[in-house]
Amino acid sequence: MEQYVSSRNLRFVIHEMLNTAELQRFERFQGYDKESIDMALDAAKQLSDQYLYPFYREMDKNKAVYDNGTVKVHPCMRPGIKALAEGGWISAHDEFEVGGQQMPYTLLNACTFIFHAANANLSCHPFLTTGAANLIRNFGSPELNETYIPNLYNGDWQGTMALTEPQAGSSLSDITSSAEPVNGGEYYKIKGQKIYISGGDHDGVDNVVHLLLARIKGAPAGTKGISLFVVPKYRPEGDGLVFNDVTTAGIYGKMGQKGYVAAHLMLGEQHDDCRGYLVGQANAGLKYMFQMMNEARIGTGMVAAATASAAYYASLKYANERPQGRHPSNKDLTLPQVLIIEHADVRRMLLYQKAVVEGSIALLMLCSYYGDVSHQSTGEEAQNAHLLFELLTPIAKSYPSEWGIHAVSMGMQVLGGAGYTDDFPLEQHYRDIRVNAIYEGTTTIHGLDLLGRKLTMENGKAAMLLGQEIQKEVQTALTMPALAPYAEKLGKVGAGLQETLGKLVQTGMQEGPEVYLADATIFLEYFSYLVMGWMWLKQANLAQKALDAGQSGSEKLFYESKIQTCLYYFEYELPKATALKVTLNSSARVTLGTRPEVLV
Amino acid sequence: MKLLVCVSKTPDTTTKIVFNAAGNELDTNGVQYIMNPYDEWYALVRALELKESPLGGSVTIINVGPDANDAIIRKGLAIGADEAVRINADPKSALNVAFQIAEYAKQGNFDMILLGKETIDYNGSEIGAMVAEFLDLPFISYASKLDTADGKTATIQRDIEGGIEVVEVATPFVLSAAKGLAEQRIPNMKGIMMAKSKPLNVLAPAPFDELSVPVHYDLPPAKASVRMIAPENMEELVRLLHEEAKVI
Repeated sequence: MEQYVSSRNLRFVIHEMLNTAELQRFERFQGYDKESIDMALDAAKQLSDQYLYPFYREMDKNKAVYDNGTVKVHPCMRPGIKALAEGGWISAHDEFEVGGQQMPYTLLNACTFIFHAANANLSCHPFLTTGAANLIRNFGSPELNETYIPNLYNGDWQGTMALTEPQAGSSLSDITSSAEPVNGGEYYKIKGQKIYISGGDHDGVDNVVHLLLARIKGAPAGTKGISLFVVPKYRPEGDGLVFNDVTTAGIYGKMGQKGYVAAHLMLGEQHDDCRGYLVGQANAGLKYMFQMMNEARIGTGMVAAATASAAYYASLKYANERPQGRHPSNKDLTLPQVLIIEHADVRRMLLYQKAVVEGSIALLMLCSYYGDVSHQSTGEEAQNAHLLFELLTPIAKSYPSEWGIHAVSMGMQVLGGAGYTDDFPLEQHYRDIRVNAIYEGTTTIHGLDLLGRKLTMENGKAAMLLGQEIQKEVQTALTMPALAPYAEKLGKVGAGLQETLGKLVQTGMQEGPEVYLADATIFLEYFSYLVMGWMWLKQANLAQKALDAGQSGSEKLFYESKIQTCLYYFEYELPKATALKVTLNSSARVTLGTRPEVLV
Repeated sequence: MKLLVCVSKTPDTTTKIVFNAAGNELDTNGVQYIMNPYDEWYALVRALELKESPLGGSVTIINVGPDANDAIIRKGLAIGADEAVRINADPKSALNVAFQIAEYAKQGNFDMILLGKETIDYNGSEIGAMVAEFLDLPFISYASKLDTADGKTATIQRDIEGGIEVVEVATPFVLSAAKGLAEQRIPNMKGIMMAKSKPLNVLAPAPFDELSVPVHYDLPPAKASVRMIAPENMEELVRLLHEEAKVI
């Protein structure tokens, strides 16, 4: 079995960085001590080794196909989804009463990371179901809960999120799918089309249940007139299921994730008999959807980081096996070639991948932890955790998605020509990871969210809290001679960012939001370097303490690898923030001043 | 039926084995442990299948070792065992382990005592036979199939060189499990959370004087690196196979 994830690293983050067992102070999470957490991580790995990883390449080579109105997926899909359901993973976060295990999101996401690293083409399906079930659980009627939740949680039915339409992608205010009440709202007749619906149809389950956005006839225009409906492919009637006039027009030929269907759905087009069932209040659909959106965004970051993780270990293995060339100082061709990991530039590429992967994991788990605390705690602690979760979500989604693409590309580069062939998995990882920068809000959307909303919410309180957290790590690192120089560097980047943000706000006030937001994506990139620097200093502080306490064998190597990757990050990656600062402080207004007709 | 399954803790198969400076003990720093797969995948799971059959019954797992072993014992409970016993000892020999298991089993009236055919670390394959001898019970080794219609008599298939052997044996007996006896089960989250509420009884060991102790371990020689020979240079390949590898 090839390595696709580091269990040791996940334990480092879960136990040493976050002390997840401490979440037991909340009644909901009692029982999640270190032993149970480790057992859950082991079970996730065992399940992945058996049901997910062996089919990763297979699902790409034997991709999903559309055939006469049905979508056929790889035969591993059904047993894989069932194994995850029977393992309790689809419902793990939910209440005991509905078969859940009240699992902290921090642990669930760590386990999900393992599943995704093994084979996200399969594992995305059950967790999409979890997201759909969450909407019904939180906002649906008792009848909807009774009808749908057991079938979703046992893996027999697939859940989806059906938002996008041909004329409305990122701009959901423009959706036109309609819902007409029948029998005073007993159900609604749904009409319209939905595109790019992940998991939208496949034969790995018995039914597909769409959590779908549509407008009730006469509803206000824009986002205030959007309602949420349960729209199953087959609706329960009597003791059986009846076709609900949800037709799959086709599936998209995607660059990657070929085992994970994106479907084009037609609703009520054939028989004018597509029924939807209102979830919660009319016209509150987008509000409900957005309450789940941050978790979905963390999920997208997880898929990206997990794909980059699998790519890293594939390239690391190759670098440790492939002899090629000699050291620059060695001109003796009679001597054997050295392994490519002996070359400094190959190690640079491996360090880059490791920095992106492990930095992303640290941030994603920290966000999950903030999510748990914000939901379970009260008062100031809950509020602060919520603010940090909100502020960091755009980075936790975008950094692994954008930098992960480069990380996988580096992995491919390590393999040279072999990496470009399908003899190795890197080319698939490269195709598969690309979409994450588009899913759940493009990077542009997250840049706008960060600069336009998150940094200014509650008069900048979230940013202030983040500053305090970064300062804590800086102060700790300053007490350690090996890390003190990096603490100073991070402090300087933080100060520079603060200064840049102040200037941007000032400019925005003088020249309007177009100027303020024009380079929001660049600002997100800049902000990401600071946040990841914080993540690496945090990990290095812990590693240095562990080394100072005395380690041997593989443990010593593990902590040394953390320190070395931190050094790499600060010497090779963090300096890139300086160039971005120059761009953001420029008054040239290049993008705003570029007339469309100039782009010829 | 009352079933006793003996489980052992072994390093994960991906562990890089390092010994202490004296060379007489494993350096356990950073070692990830698992339940011995032959104990878990085959012996324990088959015992659970028998318990879940119409015959019913209970499954107790037993381990001889320190409290650091509790994590793998809990895994056995998470998979479905009803209770667990740990004999709180740090045995240096298989004989001591077998003796402790037998001392406990004497009081339990177990119908079957199951364990893996070997552990994947020391590969001794000794415990089963020793337990049977201490208890004066029949011992069936390398079992790849186990059926019983009434819980009184069992039909057991053994893998032997070049074929299989089928034996019948009356309970009680001791059995060592080989691949094929059952299919691996992965603990589900419900089982993991319930494992904490199942009893894990820690007992003092019976007095025992070790008859042998390991004094030194050596790792096998490191594998030589791959030498690439050009396809047209067959003479060089033959020379290396003859003079260096000494295989022709």
